[in-house]
Amino acid sequence: MTTKRLLEIAKNTMEQALEQDGVNQVQVAAFQVNSALTRYANSQIHQNVASKRGGIAIKVVAGQKIGNLLVNSLEKAQIKDAVSSAVKVARVTPPNKDFKSLPEPTKWAPIKDAYHKETTECTPDYRAERVKEAIDAAHSKSQLVRAVAGSFSIESLAFAVVNSLGISAWTEVAIASIQTTVISKSANSQGFSSEEQYSRKVGDIDAAKVGRQAAEKSIRSVNPCKIPIGEYEVVLSPRAVATLFMYLGYMSFSATSYQDGQSFVKYNLGKRVFDKKLNAYDDPRNLRTLYKFPIDGEGVPKVKIQLVVEGRVSEKSICYDSFTAGKEGRMSTGHALPPIFGFRGRPMPFNILIASGDASEEEMIQETKRGLFITRFHYTNPVEPSKAILTGLTRDGTFLIEDGELTKPVVNLRYTDSMLSALKIVPMLGKDLEILEDVTAPAMKLEKLRFTGVTEH
Amino acid sequence: MKNGVPEEVHISRMKGFGLRVLAEGSWGFAASVDVTKSEVVKVARKAVTIARASAKVNKKPVSLRNLEAKKANYSTPVRKDPFKIPLDEKMGILMEAERIIAKQSPLIKVSYSFFRTKREKKLLMSTEGTEIHQQIIWCGGGLMAVAIKNGEVQRRSYPSSFRGNFSTSGYEFFESLKLTQEAKKVGQEALQLLGAERCPSATKDLIITGDQLALQIHESCGHPTELDRALGMEADYAGTSFLTPDKLDTFRYGSKKVNIVADATVPGGLGTFGYDDEGIPAKKIYLVKEGVFVGYQSSRETAALLGLKESSGGMRADSPLKLPLIRMTNINLLEGDWKAEELIEDTRDGILMQTNRSWSIDDRRLNFQFGAEIGWKVKRGSREGMVRNPTYTGITPQFWGSCDAISKDDWMMWGTPNCGKGVPGQVMYVGHGCGSARFKKTQVGLIK
Repeated sequence: MTTKRLLEIAKNTMEQALEQDGVNQVQVAAFQVNSALTRYANSQIHQNVASKRGGIAIKVVAGQKIGNLLVNSLEKAQIKDAVSSAVKVARVTPPNKDFKSLPEPTKWAPIKDAYHKETTECTPDYRAERVKEAIDAAHSKSQLVRAVAGSFSIESLAFAVVNSLGISAWTEVAIASIQTTVISKSANSQGFSSEEQYSRKVGDIDAAKVGRQAAEKSIRSVNPCKIPIGEYEVVLSPRAVATLFMYLGYMSFSATSYQDGQSFVKYNLGKRVFDKKLNAYDDPRNLRTLYKFPIDGEGVPKVKIQLVVEGRVSEKSICYDSFTAGKEGRMSTGHALPPIFGFRGRPMPFNILIASGDASEEEMIQETKRGLFITRFHYTNPVEPSKAILTGLTRDGTFLIEDGELTKPVVNLRYTDSMLSALKIVPMLGKDLEILEDVTAPAMKLEKLRFTGVTEH
Repeated sequence: MKNGVPEEVHISRMKGFGLRVLAEGSWGFAASVDVTKSEVVKVARKAVTIARASAKVNKKPVSLRNLEAKKANYSTPVRKDPFKIPLDEKMGILMEAERIIAKQSPLIKVSYSFFRTKREKKLLMSTEGTEIHQQIIWCGGGLMAVAIKNGEVQRRSYPSSFRGNFSTSGYEFFESLKLTQEAKKVGQEALQLLGAERCPSATKDLIITGDQLALQIHESCGHPTELDRALGMEADYAGTSFLTPDKLDTFRYGSKKVNIVADATVPGGLGTFGYDDEGIPAKKIYLVKEGVFVGYQSSRETAALLGLKESSGGMRADSPLKLPLIRMTNINLLEGDWKAEELIEDTRDGILMQTNRSWSIDDRRLNFQFGAEIGWKVKRGSREGMVRNPTYTGITPQFWGSCDAISKDDWMMWGTPNCGKGVPGQVMYVGHGCGSARFKKTQVGLIK
């Protein structure tokens, strides 16, 4: 019902805009986001919120002059005012010669299994009960568990897009997630770990399991020892792998960074830059991806993109919206960001899947003579995007591997390395995939990752 | 604008309301953009239902520091309303600046220019009797040039990276940036960086100019002095803080030269306002005094939890749909007694770094690594040769402990409109006042 109403609002808005003098193309995306989130810290709920927001993003084209306006309201008067403002902006804006046209309509099909009503109907009491389960499960593991923090979130995201060339498309997704951090303490040392789970079905979320798993690792991470910086073999959890690929997606596979010369892909077309075992793609229709939107923010069907094929990148690795595609005379791949994320920004993949291998996490550890197991990376950021150099820190459970066993926790380390070097040799890939927001990833063993600093906890 | 043409011209509007309620000793919050009587009633009921659900997993009822309820008005003083300036005038300045950048060389492959302004009208009312009307206006902008040669990518920004500098002021602030006058230098420095040598990996005296030091203050003092972090309330996301409550008033955070305040009253600061979102009047408090950690940024609830006398007045929400959180106001490093040029003249073997390019800090705000857009070697009291991709790294209290000189003559306010915090995420506008400073024996360059 939400999408039907949004489609109607979008169509009415488009008709209003087309009545204005000089306007020859119009695109309108109407959206609604309902969110509810229960957040806990120190083993009790401290923030508990719900909100409803909706609005329209309108693009008015007059020749090659473009006016954009986002209004966070679905009220008629606000929308009328927004149309008028967008037209005014278009009239005074100089032409953008790179703009070719809004996208033409293409056949699209909805994705089953994207929206589950029971997820959106989840009550504050239900969320509180799951939170209590996570907290109790963590504390029941050990007296060392001192505090449990995290959030339980429900979100329904709906949008409908129309344009004056005939696009008319809509989609709705509901997401449930839990994230739990457990803090343990012994004498003068604290241990940390975290676990998370995402699903479109709220009933799939196993809060107690997440709490229990986080507690187990947290207890093991107290009294960490410092190890020297340098290169180490590493076994990365799916969460850690997902962070690296999320950044690669943003800084390397977006047409904007590719066209601006800031993506490593531009300088390595057709080359095998990663291990031959690495295959990654962006596919909204895959069963294991979270945000199953069949269309993008312009109503263009999302195309499956082969980001990495047997370690190689190519022109086919790049994700386009209609604007960036128009600059190269191509078709959009359906990667304009949906209006629910605010303004357009750069096209980018957010249904990234890394193909699984055949090893378990335990086997990767067993095959490591001396290395590190990394649960999670923190505050990762690009240092030199065109060389895919990232920096960040380990967090929430970093362990030394000696002779095939996790032997002791280590003080968190800073890594600074080019992904072209770090992902060059991937001896083992995990057989199990984990859904982690934008990325679905297996665990991964890297032959080396360069650590350049050490912190104090 | 990008490459001299408007890639996108955006106007964004939001109207809405949020209700924070305390019921059975627990918090509930609900909000909506649908501002109608029936929706207000519905949302109020939802907030109470949520608070009651919270109470089921609550060990201790919420306690708040007292508030003297006020009826008040506050408005950012502006000389020229940025919303009344014609769009083509603003775009004209940006286009001219980018034309000058592009003219410098065909190696400049991309240029950007930005103008951004925001007007926020807020009404805060509470059952304690608060009724505060505020209008906050801020604006600003900036430039960036990207030069590329043989796969080497270098960029240069003005007056600061990430879209420029911003101030709670009118259009006169944007005019004062004089973007067209600075554009040539921006383009030329981007080009010069292509031929500059790589920053050495070594231990050297480091001089940081204000536009980079602002982010250093933000990450290594601003966030760790947020009391909600120190009390574990952000443990699941951004992390906790090395500045734990047992360190208050005793821990040596930096050298005796280091004085840092949270000051919501400083004119033009991006974090300047009349009242916070709990109704606390804007104030100035010390976080670090003569190098000692002496204060937290707090709320009424966290102040009560720690037994502090009162809130520091930093609770803010980024929209009516979000819960107020402890947010930085203007976190300022107070002036020292040096002139900026004297920092260079007094340095025998150092590196000078300017304008942030990358940043990362651990979840307790100890180990950090920053990259700058541009650097220069400093030898025997003068700049000698530009270096590209300069970075530095350190541990927060050791780093600030090595601060031996702070300037006074280049002190100014820097505005950061994109500080992220909280779950669900919020983006807040905050300010940092500082000039240049020197840090002895710092690790610079990427460690091999």
